[in-house]
Amino acid sequence: MTRPRLGFFKFSCCAGCEFQTFYFQKHPAETLAAFEIVFAKMVLRGGAPEGPFDLALVEGTITEAWQADELKKIRKSSALLFAIGACAVNGGIPALKALAPELEVEGKVYKNLSPIHSIRPHPVDAYIQVDGYIRGCPPGERDLHEALTSVLAQKKPGFLRCAVCVECKLKGNICILTAYGMPCMGPVTNAGCDALCPTCKRPCYSCFGLMKQANAPALAKKFRSLGLSESDIRRKFTLFDADAALFSKADKLNED
Amino acid sequence: MYGNGMTGAPASRISDFLVPKASFFRWLDSLRESFSVVGPVAEEDRTVFREIASADELHMEYASTMLSPGKVYLYSPREDLFRISFGKDLTIEEPPRSPVQRIIAGIHACDTHAVFYLDRTFLGAFRDPLYENRRSNTMLIALNCSAASRNCFCSSMGAGPFLKAEKGYDMLLTDLEDAYLVEIRTERCRVLFNADATQSADAEVFRRKEEKERSALRTFTKTINTDGLDRALRENPEHPVWGRTADERCLSCANCVMVCPTCFCHDVVDELSMDMKTVRRYREWDACQDARFAEVHGGNFRARRTARLRQFVTHKLDQTHQYGVFGTVGCGRCITWCPTGIDLTEMAKAIQTRKA
Ligand code: SF4
Ligand code: SF4
Ligand code: SF4
Ligand code: SF4
Repeated sequence: MTRPRLGFFKFSCCAGCEFQTFYFQKHPAETLAAFEIVFAKMVLRGGAPEGPFDLALVEGTITEAWQADELKKIRKSSALLFAIGACAVNGGIPALKALAPELEVEGKVYKNLSPIHSIRPHPVDAYIQVDGYIRGCPPGERDLHEALTSVLAQKKPGFLRCAVCVECKLKGNICILTAYGMPCMGPVTNAGCDALCPTCKRPCYSCFGLMKQANAPALAKKFRSLGLSESDIRRKFTLFDADAALFSKADKLNED
Repeated sequence: MYGNGMTGAPASRISDFLVPKASFFRWLDSLRESFSVVGPVAEEDRTVFREIASADELHMEYASTMLSPGKVYLYSPREDLFRISFGKDLTIEEPPRSPVQRIIAGIHACDTHAVFYLDRTFLGAFRDPLYENRRSNTMLIALNCSAASRNCFCSSMGAGPFLKAEKGYDMLLTDLEDAYLVEIRTERCRVLFNADATQSADAEVFRRKEEKERSALRTFTKTINTDGLDRALRENPEHPVWGRTADERCLSCANCVMVCPTCFCHDVVDELSMDMKTVRRYREWDACQDARFAEVHGGNFRARRTARLRQFVTHKLDQTHQYGVFGTVGCGRCITWCPTGIDLTEMAKAIQTRKA
């Protein structure tokens, strides 16, 4: 059986997803054995960035024009393309700059702006069609495994779409939002992390991004009743999802 | 339907004892040699059901726990069903049935009724072998409640605070300050019961039990009128309370479903190994509040949040045709653990009084 040809591409991000895929998850050796690695900077010198690929995994936010051009090329040379990680899926941390005017953000970081060609940040599906979303910062074990094995088995991956609360209850954690009034984002956040933070008695800060069925205004109202200020609430909803919350997907976040 | 032959032959004679608490707990402790004893234990400021290493750990005067012992120890949040291996031949391997003999001590009346409800699902038309194994290997020591918690409405549902059923569990305790009234319900429990300093319970003890029940009943603040309730809900699928509650308050987080002791839905998941040689098939609790739940090829029966919220509430308060009983035991968990405090009894009231 020929192994699927895999390409791993990075845009603006910390590269944690590639690290997770090839080193940190539970099955790195099996992953390397199951796929033919055609391009992935962390495991292969050189490689063939032009492809073709059976599967392209793309991490990172699109924050520069050349990245959008590159992304379109990857799409053309890949049978399947999955966005991997909060940055590629939701905009993630790099999309925080969407909260301020571009020039203002650039000026905060760089003295000389002439070599800076930064654009408004977007997740990859703002530019290309995406076949699957492997959420998380970094991705959770279950969805990553499901994505890779689904490609191998040539089936549609069954990603988790419920709230973090479901995983939290499966573990029997006492709910820190309801019992202790901690501002947990679990009720609106897509599952996949196995409720990592609430299990450590820390409120979820939504690194897996809002789930599609999230009722963000209702949770914001709850946070208000706990005494959070408007700016605290806004920060909570924009930490990993600034682009989605503010612009392109606002309509999808509130169903009905 | 409860009983199902799962809890041994009915007691040849009912055995009722007055047992000093110290002596009761000594007896319970002695059972740990051959049983895994699970009971209410105070952890930080909450009580959870878990296995005890000593009866000293028990906190019997507990308020409702977040998860019911029946759902965790008889059903199980997540469990392996079987493993398929694709070798030269295809083999299917089931995990061995757990040999654990367990006692669940201190299970409230509502939660005992919730076990009867799970029995209807898992020991009904289809007998689930995993549930059946655990159910028959588990003795239930039920406990009558002395006081209601804020959201309890079991008294409206006939499921508490005192347990009226006489079958389907092994022993019933009533707290009489320094002693328990112990009512033994099964032969297997009668054989096992050898606490010291017991007296047989006389009419005076049962008079004290009645008094306790009356005082427990006085502590209820939440009620629901079940008269014609199922019909009222069935006739009002478009009542504004559904949409309003769904839009303004429901987060689709599914906490209500996960904590509900009668919610029995699960998803079946296949996990393929990277070498494509084995599949692990397991099940885990699923929730109708997740939009994915009612999704089928080409559409979704409950794409709207309103429809999902209504599904949960009507399964509890309307769907009596499923098993001939209401789907709620009135434990109040879905109210307590809903982050926005959505209260199905309030929704029912709005519909019953036809208030918009
Ligand atoms: S602690 Fe957070 S994630 Fe867990 S159930 Fe409560 S709100 Fe949901
Ligand atoms: S609990 Fe929330 S913040 Fe923590 S890992 Fe999970 S999604 Fe991320
Ligand atoms: S717990 Fe409350 S907010 Fe969450 S899905 Fe249930 S009713 Fe809605
Ligand atoms: S519907 Fe609510 S009150 Fe009724 S049994 Fe379930 S959790 Fe308890």
